[in-house]
Amino acid sequence: FSLQEIHIKEPIEKQVNPHLLPGELLLCEANTVYKYIQEDGSNRGTYGKLVCTNFKIAFLDDESASDDNEPQLKNKIVGENDITLQCVDQIYGVYDEKKKLLTGQLRKYPEKLIIYCKDLRVFHFCLRYTKEEEVKRIVSGIVHHSQTPKLLKRLFLFSYASAAPSNTDGRNQTMMFDTLEDWRDELERTKGNVKYKAVTINEGYRVSEKLPLYFVVPICVSEENILKYEGRGIPIWCWSCHNGAALLKMSAFPKEQDDSTSQTQKAFLDGIYKTISKAPYELLKTDDLSSSLPSLQDIQTAYTRFKQLFLIDNSSDFWTTDVKWFSLLESTNWLEIIRRVLKKAIEVAECLERQHTNVLLIEESATDLCCVISTLVQVMMDSYSRTKSGFQSLIQEEWAIGGHGFFDHCSHLHKSDKEEAPVFLLLLNCVWQLVQQYPPAFEFTETYLTVLSDSLYVPIFSTFFFNSQHQKDTNTSGESFKTQSGPFRFLTVWDWSVQFDPKAQAFLNNPFYAEKPKPDKSQRKTTRFKHQRQLSLPLTTTKSSTKRGFFREETDHFIKNILGKRIGKLINSSDEPPNSFREFYDSWHSKPVDYHGLLLPRIDGPEIKVWAQRYLRWIPEAQLHGGGTIATAAKILDLMEEVQSLQVKMDEEHCQAVSGDVHSVPLLRNSARLSSLFPFALLQRQSVKPALPTSTWKDLEVEDDLVKRDDEFVDLTSDMP
Amino acid sequence: FHTLFVLQVENVKLLDRYTNKKAANGTLYLTATHLIYVEASAEARKETWILHHHIATVEKLPLATAGYPLLIHCKNFHVAHFVIGQERDCHEVYTCLLKLSQPVKPEELYAFSYNPKMSKENREIGWKLIDLKVDYQRMGIPNDYWEITDVNKDYEVCNTYPPEIVVPRAANKAVVIGSSRFRSRGRIPVLSYLYKENNAAICRCSQPLAGFSARCLEDEQMLQAIREANPGSPFMYVVDTRPKLNAMANRAAGKGYENEDNYDNIRFKFIGIENIHVMRSSLQKLLEVCEMKSPSMSDFLTGLENSGWLRHIKAVMDAGVFLAKAVKDEKASVLVHCSDGWDRTAQVCSLASLLLDPFYRTFKGFMVLIEKEWIAMGHKFSHRCGHLCGDPKEVSPVFTQFVDCVWQLMQQFPCTFEFNERFLLEIHDHVYSCQFGNFLGTCHKEREDLKIFEKTHSLWPFLLQKKQELRNPLYRGFTAYKELQPNTLPFSFQFWCGMYNRFDKGMHPKQCVLDHLLSCVSQKVKLEDSASELENKLPFLDGPLPSDACPLPKVGPAASKTPMLNTPQGYEGDPPPALSNGAAGGDGDVLSDVDQRNKENLSPPQDLHGDTIEVLDSEAKEGKPRHH
Repeated sequence: FSLQEIHIKEPIEKQVNPHLLPGELLLCEANTVYKYIQEDGSNRGTYGKLVCTNFKIAFLDDESASDDNEPQLKNKIVGENDITLQCVDQIYGVYDEKKKLLTGQLRKYPEKLIIYCKDLRVFHFCLRYTKEEEVKRIVSGIVHHSQTPKLLKRLFLFSYASAAPSNTDGRNQTMMFDTLEDWRDELERTKGNVKYKAVTINEGYRVSEKLPLYFVVPICVSEENILKYEGRGIPIWCWSCHNGAALLKMSAFPKEQDDSTSQTQKAFLDGIYKTISKAPYELLKTDDLSSSLPSLQDIQTAYTRFKQLFLIDNSSDFWTTDVKWFSLLESTNWLEIIRRVLKKAIEVAECLERQHTNVLLIEESATDLCCVISTLVQVMMDSYSRTKSGFQSLIQEEWAIGGHGFFDHCSHLHKSDKEEAPVFLLLLNCVWQLVQQYPPAFEFTETYLTVLSDSLYVPIFSTFFFNSQHQKDTNTSGESFKTQSGPFRFLTVWDWSVQFDPKAQAFLNNPFYAEKPKPDKSQRKTTRFKHQRQLSLPLTTTKSSTKRGFFREETDHFIKNILGKRIGKLINSSDEPPNSFREFYDSWHSKPVDYHGLLLPRIDGPEIKVWAQRYLRWIPEAQLHGGGTIATAAKILDLMEEVQSLQVKMDEEHCQAVSGDVHSVPLLRNSARLSSLFPFALLQRQSVKPALPTSTWKDLEVEDDLVKRDDEFVDLTSDMP
Repeated sequence: FHTLFVLQVENVKLLDRYTNKKAANGTLYLTATHLIYVEASAEARKETWILHHHIATVEKLPLATAGYPLLIHCKNFHVAHFVIGQERDCHEVYTCLLKLSQPVKPEELYAFSYNPKMSKENREIGWKLIDLKVDYQRMGIPNDYWEITDVNKDYEVCNTYPPEIVVPRAANKAVVIGSSRFRSRGRIPVLSYLYKENNAAICRCSQPLAGFSARCLEDEQMLQAIREANPGSPFMYVVDTRPKLNAMANRAAGKGYENEDNYDNIRFKFIGIENIHVMRSSLQKLLEVCEMKSPSMSDFLTGLENSGWLRHIKAVMDAGVFLAKAVKDEKASVLVHCSDGWDRTAQVCSLASLLLDPFYRTFKGFMVLIEKEWIAMGHKFSHRCGHLCGDPKEVSPVFTQFVDCVWQLMQQFPCTFEFNERFLLEIHDHVYSCQFGNFLGTCHKEREDLKIFEKTHSLWPFLLQKKQELRNPLYRGFTAYKELQPNTLPFSFQFWCGMYNRFDKGMHPKQCVLDHLLSCVSQKVKLEDSASELENKLPFLDGPLPSDACPLPKVGPAASKTPMLNTPQGYEGDPPPALSNGAAGGDGDVLSDVDQRNKENLSPPQDLHGDTIEVLDSEAKEGKPRHH
């Protein structure tokens, strides 16, 4: 095609300057860049300036868009046409209509630049009208700054932290788990403090740099043992069930060639198992996740294939998937991985809840699949984890402090792709399945999960930045930074006001949440940890007492059994789950759901769905006018608002001077016409006519009456015998 | 009720493929109309009822340890797996069911014996509930271009069309008769829907008897008349919903499709919807996927794709969208046909109407739509649903596909339908149940011959009685949405668990969102009632002397907008059932009232107080919150 053939408005020379964050530096820029509107290959678009800073790549529209076109969920940090350097997935250049991946040094400069983002946006920039000098500068600048490895301290997180005013309080209800007190509170909340204790032994990272400063172990485990193998082979507490059974995780020993070493390690493990299998501890089941779940490599491969289905250059690509859609989806294996992970979590929940046994998850690092399973189990079993602050505390505990390798897995340094693995995304995908199956059980929305996944690539937060608490601590001190006197003050992603104004934050709260009766607000500080535990499910009569009696006598035999079968074979890991699992699953599903009790996802094939909001939100072709989940949400919001205002009115009538505590959301009026892509994009502005032309209102009124009358009629007939 | 058992068998188990629990023993009863299984040993008496007409197949499986298995597949996708202790019993049940589920004569159908103890008058009113003339009036017909003609009153033009049809005024009787000779089974082009805003019409017919070169002047005049009835457009579409190959094959048999050269200003299009045989086998494959126990992602996704079911649903939807766009955006009239114009044509025309007109997305409107496009225009329910013992090749899930399309729309636009999924399921059930007369036979003439209007009941009043549980709590009312533009990308089509796995309890949420919402709505109504009640009390409190002498105080402004359930005094401690209808009290003369309203359908409502439309609607209409 030729651009000359179609009508393009003459570029207007106008001075637009990028909005820079504290610490953000403009590195290079190019004028008269033409940005295509993605959808239809019609070459429509706008002229503007393309800039690259040490934080983002940004396109500045010459005809600066009027405010009413802005998306509702405006991110204060990352604009509609901003791509943070961390968010860049791949950059392609188009040379003579051929796409080529751009990396490293460039010899020739492309006429078109395509940027694929990790949040699944796709940008097309035409550089044909840009001065050659500027093309060179901007293309090599973008490729260099987004693709080549850098020194850690040169990353934007540090520039921002040293330049930004450290005024954000960040205090919210999220527990950060960076203090001993937080761990003790969590132990107390789950009543785990009888058998487990928080230890300070890792202060100064004496035990291991991979472990957090504070963590929780069974009371009977000695300091000496913890120190022996840098914390390996030590069961670390994740959570206690209402019946006292606990979820534990353990970092396994790497495979040893040396026989005597592995003998010693085995003996060490025997000792540990023996200690924690004695009363008062419950029967122990172990599960080696590295053999019972897909490898990180499998997960990465599956996700790479899966996201390719949505990273499309134009809509015609999308239509070609037509007949093959389901087999394409199937061949990625991504949904099957989600299903297997959910199934594993149900198995663990069954052991804890019904069999009343402790479950020990084993993985080499105990920071990847252990985190996924442990988080999911808690979301399913502990309704506190389904509140916003509870979920955030959980992510903080298991992932941020727990030592998930965000830095490597998100490839923040672009060092190598090998480390990259979407483990956290996998978790969010699994949680989303639960959210869409049981909307009233969650205080947050799918939009919350979506923006949380986006936040992985906003490098002003430390939450999802480092590999471990140690890495964060050592880099916070700011020693090597001469310009900075004190330590860096990093932001936490949980302070949502950094990214969203209050109006936008309303999208994160689920209006449909079946809230529990709240304790008095004045006691908030104390009630924070006193979140009530639920007896999740009075299942079949518990066999625990007999089991434990049996177990005490047979301890030695049992331990032999574990070791004989090698660790991890106790939970059946074959695809056909043991009968007890299916029975548990069926029996739960045959009873009414208690949204504040145990929650088990449905995992039969048809129940696992594609997270449409995250994966389709930038694809104009996928939108529905006046449809989609947002239509439901908007309608429910209206309804709730009305109920609330009625309640207020009632209270007034009763002359009770209760001031209206209506935390209603003043949005979505006339929301019938919203696009299903709302609140992320308003892409429909180019492509359609208004859904309801005003000229037709009059006619409708007449028909309207008709419908009313039909209803009248209906009402009468319903009295017929 | 039917207390007469044809057969009673003890020691029968009903297996549940979702639980591994040991099945309990029970008793199986066969009545004249139902199979009833009662699980006796359970603490609670559990009954499973299966209507004989719902039974699609009965199979005897090889002997199992527990006894002799009998597998029953139902037309509403219920699968029941019985194990019977004695071989003789098993065989007896088997032969009985074969006979009972496959009646030979129409008189044996349930509808002719079903007796809900309703007066004759009420039954007749039930049949008059839907009046298609009123719907044509709603479209503005008769008008300058279209008229309702009784040219078919003795079924001389077409014996599968109703006596009254809508044709262009410009087409005189000679044209109509002439055209009918050139159309398969005389199914001439008639109006299905007129889009009032721009005069573009959707018309339907059967294929022309064109062969390779035949022409018919009257048929060409007929199409010209249709095109000229829409002066805003210089052309019209003629849409053949069959795949091109199929249509071409028909030419050899002297049928086929319109030649663009012979008709003035038509644009001819094929939309490849497959025939009834392809659809039947596609559903069969889909059901095999549904019957898998705990399918993995791979089993499910490949099975779903290989069945092709959603691809066919998409094809129907694409066709509907094409029609709606042609009418609305291009302002062009469309003539639709397939082979006989009663399967794919019915699907596509009714779907397009649903997309264009919000009225059809209400309870009443949807009933009108089915009566108009399916029942009146001669969809062969009797054959497609296998009501009577007959050619199994005539059976095809054509109506199921339409219902599936509607459900897909409900998924995409959750606030645009007055009714919920259960309404669709109810209708789908009764299309097969033969409990009501509506879906018996194949066309209006046959229904007259069967005397269904005298001998059976209509389904619609019974569904309206259940309106509370069938309504969509998310409905935004009539004016909130006009045309729908559904997405027809492949991922937009979902597998409808609630239909095809409806009886597999393991696959459904127990406490569904729908119930939750319905209770939300009733909470709101309750609050509004209490509010209006309090407001009613205010004048007494403010006034000089509260007096009990005046039982009906002046109704305040808020109260006038809220639905008045009973007398306000009535619900102090005991509110009436939420969302109950206005006539809950003892209106003595329901009938005359109904009659009257029926006649007055087009005049504005006079009595605002009797207007019990739910609050949701009226609010959406006002487009603003009312509580300020």
